[in-house]
Parts: sequence; C-alpha cells; structure tokens
Amino acid sequence: MTRIRTLALALGLALTGLAAAQTSGGTLVAAWEQEPVGLDPHITSARSSYQVLENVLDTLITLDAEQNLVPSLAHAWTVADDGLSVTFELREGVRFSNGTEFTSQHVVTVFERLLDPETGSGNAWRMAGVTSIDAPDATTVVLTLDAPNPSLLGHLASSNALAIFDPVGVEDGSINTRPIGTGPFMISDYQPGTRVLLERNPHYWEDGLPYLDAVDIRIIGDETVRRSALVTGDIDWAFSIPPQAVEELDARDDVLVDRAAAGAYYYIGVNTAEGPLADERVRRAIAFAINRDNIAAAAEFGNAQVTQDPIPPSSAWNFGYAPYGYDPERARELLAEAGFADGFEMEIMPTSFIEATIRAAQVIQADLAAVGIRASIRTLEWAEWLQEQGDGNYDTFVCSWNGLIDPDDFFYAQHRTGEVFNFTGYSNPTVDELLDEARMLPEFDARRPLYEQINRTIVDEAPYIYLYNPLEIHAYAPDVMGFAARADQAVRFVTTWLDR
Amino acid sequence: MSLAYLLRRLGTLLLVLFGVSLVTFAIIPLLPGSPARVTLGVQATPEAVATLERQMGLDRPLPVQYVSWIGGIITRGDFGTSLISRQPIRGEVTRRLPATITLALVALAIGLAIAIPAGYVSALKPGSARDLGVSVMSQLGVSVPDFWMGILLILLFSETLGWLPSSGYRPLSDGFVPWGRHVLLPAATVGIISGSIMARFVRSALLEVLGQDYVRTAHAKGVPRRTVLRKHVMRNAAISIVTIVGLQMATLLSAVVVVEIIFAWPGLGQLALTATLQRDYPALQAAVLLAAVTFTVVNLLTDLSYTFLDPRISYA
Repeated sequence: MTRIRTLALALGLALTGLAAAQTSGGTLVAAWEQEPVGLDPHITSARSSYQVLENVLDTLITLDAEQNLVPSLAHAWTVADDGLSVTFELREGVRFSNGTEFTSQHVVTVFERLLDPETGSGNAWRMAGVTSIDAPDATTVVLTLDAPNPSLLGHLASSNALAIFDPVGVEDGSINTRPIGTGPFMISDYQPGTRVLLERNPHYWEDGLPYLDAVDIRIIGDETVRRSALVTGDIDWAFSIPPQAVEELDARDDVLVDRAAAGAYYYIGVNTAEGPLADERVRRAIAFAINRDNIAAAAEFGNAQVTQDPIPPSSAWNFGYAPYGYDPERARELLAEAGFADGFEMEIMPTSFIEATIRAAQVIQADLAAVGIRASIRTLEWAEWLQEQGDGNYDTFVCSWNGLIDPDDFFYAQHRTGEVFNFTGYSNPTVDELLDEARMLPEFDARRPLYEQINRTIVDEAPYIYLYNPLEIHAYAPDVMGFAARADQAVRFVTTWLDR
Repeated sequence: MSLAYLLRRLGTLLLVLFGVSLVTFAIIPLLPGSPARVTLGVQATPEAVATLERQMGLDRPLPVQYVSWIGGIITRGDFGTSLISRQPIRGEVTRRLPATITLALVALAIGLAIAIPAGYVSALKPGSARDLGVSVMSQLGVSVPDFWMGILLILLFSETLGWLPSSGYRPLSDGFVPWGRHVLLPAATVGIISGSIMARFVRSALLEVLGQDYVRTAHAKGVPRRTVLRKHVMRNAAISIVTIVGLQMATLLSAVVVVEIIFAWPGLGQLALTATLQRDYPALQAAVLLAAVTFTVVNLLTDLSYTFLDPRISYA
C-alpha cells in the first residue's frame, strides 16, 4: 500500500516536474548522518565523503538512472578487442571550478597517484590490471592493462575514488578538505563534524546546470533529531531516516519518502579458518536456521528484500538462487551430521556503526538458539570492528557491501583465495579458476553461466550467508524537485531544484 | 592571598596537566583499531594501512611522538594535525571553543536559575508540600538521561509547537535572537539536569545554615526575616553553593558532550566523540587536555573565590 502511494506520489511529482518550469536558485539544506572522513577521493572509504564528492568531481564515464554506462568527462570510449587497453575521448572546453582547463594530463596525474603505493590508497584495486596511463594528445587518454578487467568501466563510472580532480590540491594539501573538480558544485566551506557548503561551480560544463545556488550539508548524527529537523523544515533533505520512521513519514504530506532497490546486500561473514565453522555443513546449518523475513523485519523494519544470493533482482545478473528455506529441522540434521548435535558456542560481531547489523544479530542469535547453537553478540564500534575483522578475530560478523555493479564486484575480491577482502579465509580452487576466467570474457552471454556456477557454489558452501538487499531511502520536502534515489546509491543534486 | 600561594597552585596545576597529557597520550593509542583503518574502511589492505600509518607519523616510537606533540603545544601552541581531516587542530579547537563555552555558560545559568529558587523555597519549609514538589521534580530531573531529555524537548518545542529550531548553532555575531533560539534547547537540556542536581545541594546547604545558632540569635533579636535570609543565610551558604557549582562543572562538561551530539552543536564535545570514533589521536588528546584545563582552572577559581566570599579564609 505504501509502495503504491509512493509510486503515485513519484508519478505525480514527475508530472508536476514536467508541468512546472525548473527554477534556478536557492539553497538546499541537506542533512548527512555521518560526517565525511576526509575528502581525498583516493584515501577515504566513507560513503559520507563520496556522496559529497559525487556533486563536486566528475568521473570519465558515469551511470544513468538505469545503470547504463554514459559519457561524462569522456564523450566516447573504446575497449580493445583483447581487453588490454581502453581509450577515452575527452570532452573539450571543460574547466575545473578554479578556472583551470581540464586536459588528459590531469587524468594521467590523478590515476598515477591512485596507483602509486606511496599514496596509500585502498582504492587502487579498482584499477587492477592497469599498467600505464598515457595521454597521446590533450583530449585522449589510453589505459593499458596486463590482463582484462571487466569491472574497470563499472568502477570508472560508479566510484568517486576514480573521479578526476585538479592535482594542484595534492601539492598544497587542500585535497583532503577542498578537492577541486569539474562537477556541478564546488566546496566553499568545510568544517569537519558540522558542515560542508557546496556552491554552484561557475565553470560547470553542462549548460544551465546546476539549478541550485548551493547545497548546505549539515551533519546531524542522531536519527530522531534528523527526522524532527525534516518535519519542522529545518532541513530540506535527509540522507537517511530511521527505518522505523519510514511508515510514519510516508503517511505525511509534508515529507516525501523516496526509495530505490540498492545494489547492496547484507550478509553474515563466516570465519572458515577453524573450529565448527570450518565445516561447510555447519555453515549450511546456519543458513537453514535463520529466518530471513524476521531478520529483514527487525533490521530494516521491512524496508528490504530478503535474498539468499548477493545480486539484487534489479540487475541483469540476478540469479535468484534460493536453496535455503527457513528449516530448523534441516539445520539440526546438518549439525548432527557434522558432529555437533548438541550445538556449540560461537560469536556474532555486529557494529554500532550500522545499527541494522545489531538488530539482525539479535534475531540471528535467537534463531540459532532454537537449533542449539549458543551464540553471543559482541557489538563493536567501527574502528575496533575493522581491526578485528581485518585480523580475523571473529567467528561471524554481520555487514553489508554497497555500490556493486559488475558480477565480478560481488565475488572476486571477497571470495577468491587470498584476495584483499577475503576476510573469511574461504578458498575453493574451482571458484578461483571460474572467477579468473569469467573476468576475461567480454560477452554477457559467455560470462553469465560462469557466474551462475560461482554464485551457486558460494551460496552452497556459505562463507557468506546472504540476508537481504536493502532499499536506498532518502526523505525530503515535497518542494524538492528533480532528485531521485538511485540503485547505485549515488546522491546527485545536479538536476535538483526548489519549487518555492 | 599571597603571590607565593598563587604560584604554588599554578605549579600544581601545571603538574596535573602534565600528568594528564602523559596518561592520555599513553592510553589513547591503546584503543583497538587505528586511524589508518578507519580511513581505509573495509578496503584496508595491509600495505595501505602501513603507508598511511607512516604518513600519519604513527610508525615512530611513542616517546618520540609525545615529545614532538607536547613540544609543539608548549613552544607554538600547536596541537598537531588531525589524522583524518589533515587540518591543524588548533584551528579546529578555536573554531569550536566559543560554541562549547556558550553552551556551558547558558546551561549553567539555566541550572542556577532553577537550583537556587527551588532549593530556597524547599529549604524554607522542609517537609511541606512545596518541599515535596521540589524533591519530586529534582528526582525526575536527575533520573532522566540527557539524550532523552534533549529529544523530548525537541519533540515539544520544535516539532509540536514549532517555536525553536531542532538543531544547529549560530554564533552571537549573527544576532542575539538567532543565537538565543539555537542555544536555548541544548542549554535547557543540560541546565534542567544540572539544575535538578544542584537544587538538592542548595536545599541542604541552606538547611544547614538555617539551623545555626547565629540564625536563631538573629531571629531572636528581632532582625526582619528577609534580612536574616539575605544577610546571614544566603551569604553563609554561598561557599557551599560555589563549591557545588565548581564540582558540577565535570557533570556539566560530560552532559555537554552528549547534548552537542544530539543537537548537532559544533563544539568540543562533538570533536571529542568524533575523534574517538575515528581514532584521531591528536584531536582526542587535544580535547581531553582542554577538558582537564577547564576543570582544573574552574577548581582553582572556586578555591580563590572563597577568600572573597568569606573574609575569614585566607591562603598563605
């Protein structure tokens, strides 16, 4: 019912959007829930940072609302037949917000910095395989690879870590607070913990855009206060609202709740290194023992789609493989087979940084108790959680992956033996071979059966136990026009305007 | 009060602060997790962590880090650079200090405006309905957690009545009205709670003085009641009340941290929490050191004020 209502509202909005002329000017007051963790696109990993940069920097190519690759700073691109080079034709006449003309040399400098180990970037893996970046002329950039990387275009389009900035900021150190880009807005004030003020970039290359004069980003960490600020009109737009408030806000006329199925999933990561959890049957038992509907209801108050494999239904790569019904009986059988008929003790590690993981862990704990597994919950704040996960000091954790597009993003770094984000210690030579082979193939039809097999194996062997795909939810005043929640979870204000 | 005494007190104060700086510096990096990992998030590769820690100067031995940190503070008033925003912490602190001082002072004023009248009326007639009423109110004020009180005030005054903004800060330079509208709710949150606590102390301080012989004598010799209360009771209770206010500063400062988070108030409490969560060691050390400075200085001022309140007290 609420969905129908939102749809009707969105439709109404689209129609009025067509009818009323976009008006320029005004300041959108937006509330972020977390403050940026620095704004150097190569160094940060925080979504709060990247969604500021989304409005300040441009990438070479980008994704439209339907997640197709479309031009941005590059108006055309070609991938060589062997997949070992990609050539970009850059848009001419583009200027950075400081007036400097954008050329291919900027792209070379920026990408070389990203790949330089001295930069200490956690994002270099996104350009895996790239061995050199060349600028044969001012408007051409050629990336040369030693092995094909099918995710490369997806990363270049979707990750602000691969966006282009004026390297002058690296020399004077301003890159971390005021990176200079070619995007619709520029950072004119950054007060850590409090405020980021974005003002219209006078040199923006797309005629007539952006409509807004400024976006005033405030950091309001408390979700109840953020909700109140939205309802009272202190802010126009909220990055997120508490999931328990969605229904109530949906019913109000003075707030619009905007949803999109996100390219993201929540999962239980299982430490496969030792103990009972090293046994595949035990992991499968957990997958049978948990009631995903209850988990989604508790964790997201129903604003999610339960799933047993990672790629959401909105993607062409969705497989919909679902071998685990909620079956405590089957779970007990598997535990008995594995020699744990009386259960065992284990730990679930959620993080207070993502409150949904705590609520999910509580349901999981109760479900596991019903099949004899005595789980305790160890909730850690983010810094400690990252440390423990990185060091492998856990039995199971609950977390999410966000902003994934190519199937390679969903499996390679997480599950290939010894890869950077393979924190579970999972290793299956067949999966490794399939992953290596599938990323070399250019064609969708050729890749799909391989990924289907990878997906099936990983779901069956359960180093990750998938829980649900969340919805991307933003809420804003009804007179905020031209904004839409996106599957890639990008927050773009370039076409946003105020009907007031 | 002699100069020697003052110098001695200042010397002790510096010694305490030195101790605090040493302890915070030694303890804070023991927190599990590291700023490099927080920055890199789930994408942290061991190589990237190592590179960033080197850039942040965290690969140096702790004593070396300490000397360069404390040296910077003493010689240049330089608190170092934030490991996360890579901005000088001094600028950050000076930007946030006025916000926190404003909040603390207005909160203290609200607290006293509650505590003194409430303590006064209940002490005059102990055991009366008025006294009971004040006790109940004060018990409520003490029991309500600060974050909850803040949210209740927002729901009432922002959302339901629409009188005051729900969050944010405006400096006094923006004008008195915008400033006042923004400071009122957060200051009231802290003020109501600390006022409730102080009201009970004020009550017992007054009761104690009211039971003194000289008060009875004053009444007996026919001094008007108002004069007794003003000249004998309040003045003699002042020392206890000032002591309470001084001690309340610690409670006040910790309440300010929570309230700053709730009301998105850009003060030092917010800086301290963010720095803790992000493992921004120098920023956190600066915040702790400043809190220690505030507390020790307030203590010193409290002690010194005794000589003005009670001429019998003198420090040699």
